[in-house]
Amino acid sequence: MAETLLAARGIGVRFGDFRALSDVTLDVPASSLHAVIGPNGAGKTTLFNVLTGRLAPNEGRVALAGRDVTRLPAHRRVHLGMARSFQVTNIFADLTVAENLRLAVQAVRGWEKWVFWRGLGRQIAARHQVAALLEDVGLAPRATWRAGDLSHGGQRALEIGMALAADPRIVFLDEPLAGMGIDEVHRTKELIRGLVPGRTVVLIEHNMRVVLDISDRITVLAQGRPIAEGTPAMIRADAAVREAYLGSGM
Amino acid sequence: MSAFQEGGRFPDGTTIGVAAALVALPFILPSVTLASELVVFAVATLSCAFLLGMVGLLSFGQGLFFGIGAYVSAILLREHGAATLPAVLAAALVAGTGAGLLALLAVRRRGVYFVMLTLAFAQMGYFAMLALRESTGGENGLTGVPRTPLLGGFGALAGPGAIYAFLAVLAFAAYALTQCVGASPFGSVLRAIRRNEARAEALGYDVRAFKVAAFAFAGLLAGLAGAMHTVFLGFAPPNVIDLEMSERLLVMAIIGGASAPAGAFLGAGFYLLLADFLSALWPRWLLLIGLLLIGIVLFLRDGLWGGAAAWLRRLRPAATPHG
Repeated sequence: MAETLLAARGIGVRFGDFRALSDVTLDVPASSLHAVIGPNGAGKTTLFNVLTGRLAPNEGRVALAGRDVTRLPAHRRVHLGMARSFQVTNIFADLTVAENLRLAVQAVRGWEKWVFWRGLGRQIAARHQVAALLEDVGLAPRATWRAGDLSHGGQRALEIGMALAADPRIVFLDEPLAGMGIDEVHRTKELIRGLVPGRTVVLIEHNMRVVLDISDRITVLAQGRPIAEGTPAMIRADAAVREAYLGSGM
Repeated sequence: MSAFQEGGRFPDGTTIGVAAALVALPFILPSVTLASELVVFAVATLSCAFLLGMVGLLSFGQGLFFGIGAYVSAILLREHGAATLPAVLAAALVAGTGAGLLALLAVRRRGVYFVMLTLAFAQMGYFAMLALRESTGGENGLTGVPRTPLLGGFGALAGPGAIYAFLAVLAFAAYALTQCVGASPFGSVLRAIRRNEARAEALGYDVRAFKVAAFAFAGLLAGLAGAMHTVFLGFAPPNVIDLEMSERLLVMAIIGGASAPAGAFLGAGFYLLLADFLSALWPRWLLLIGLLLIGIVLFLRDGLWGGAAAWLRRLRPAATPHG
């Protein structure tokens, strides 16, 4: 197996008396696609927030390529090669699609974001990167649209594009397919699968057919604990998982 | 289209408009003194409007930095015999640095708590001025500030006309610099923070560092205005640093509209001319300003400038810029 890129050890999160996560351990090898699944309220998004730095865990450690990042704020992790999309679409709705991507590109282009003495016209290299990202996520024809006017699927694709703008080693996608139509699901599935092996992907997703189809490994969370981990075939056969998902048509 | 919104450019039509207005003001207004007062407060209001319009930060503390600029320049001119231009610029830098340091604390909180911290700064500033009676003159202020030449013995500020010309040039520089910052990559980050702070953070922007920088820049503008005020009056009265100063700057910014730097200039001008007119009629004129503020908050959310811009767009629907 390839080297471990992301390692989480014994993650625990409490909100008051409520234990959102207990003793979650996760190893994601480089260049793999790792899915985290589980019923609603299992703690998947909380785990993402810990892994990407939005939330500091009460217990446990997170390491990226061997470096401890447990206490590192989210914006610093981006510069180490970690990027994410959000479960609830999180874009700059009033800005154009291209401007959303330009902001994402600018964030990781050294000191360029601190330039206050000249206009945006000089960002030639950034402009080329934006054009390439627009192609990658299939939004080139809608570059000048107001982002909030895109279809739901278009907005989800834009989110993925914004995550990719940082040229991340590891991408966290929180329910990228939620609310998409069938055509969009297929296109986005191809987009996500195409990210590996160039990048590492960690995915939260409820669409079991897609998850079983594209994942290398799957971790199943229930009530804040991992109850199973393995290849799609192993997860499909796991009795505990069937229990947790009873009636969900798996 | 304005420099606090996406697509704003520098220079644009308002840059020329402001330059023209600054040249015309002493001839239009009843006195050069009123014109001087107007440009001083235009710059101070720009400070509030920048924070509110660009970053979405409501500061009740800009009067503190105005006061720091006023006192530092007064001390440099009176005690150290500094030339006027370096004294004014140094005062602005001190105020900007002070604002940056206080911002390190304030940006740790958001929303109402941020506002309360800026209010606390403003309040402390007034009492710090009283406590430092030796340097600030306490309740008497600093009187008899000399009007030294601009630089190296040249450029005597002889008479109200010369003083106005100097202040107008500084005001134009402040306007141009603010527009330039608004249209820059740095400015685009500040707007992104205003629109969606969590998203900006997730993209890799250090939101707190950007807020500190914005606050320092606004402090620099307020400090510059304070120093201009000292040059204008020839003394530094204690009310330059009181809480009411902070409040007045904010009211001017909201009346003019914080969506554009031009709104700040319009707001300060409108407020001062109205005050000049009303105060001669009725000693309780501030009540009418209060009513005006209520009207604007209820019916003209983007202030006079926003209202005028919307009205212009309706007149020329074909010329509406997009995006």
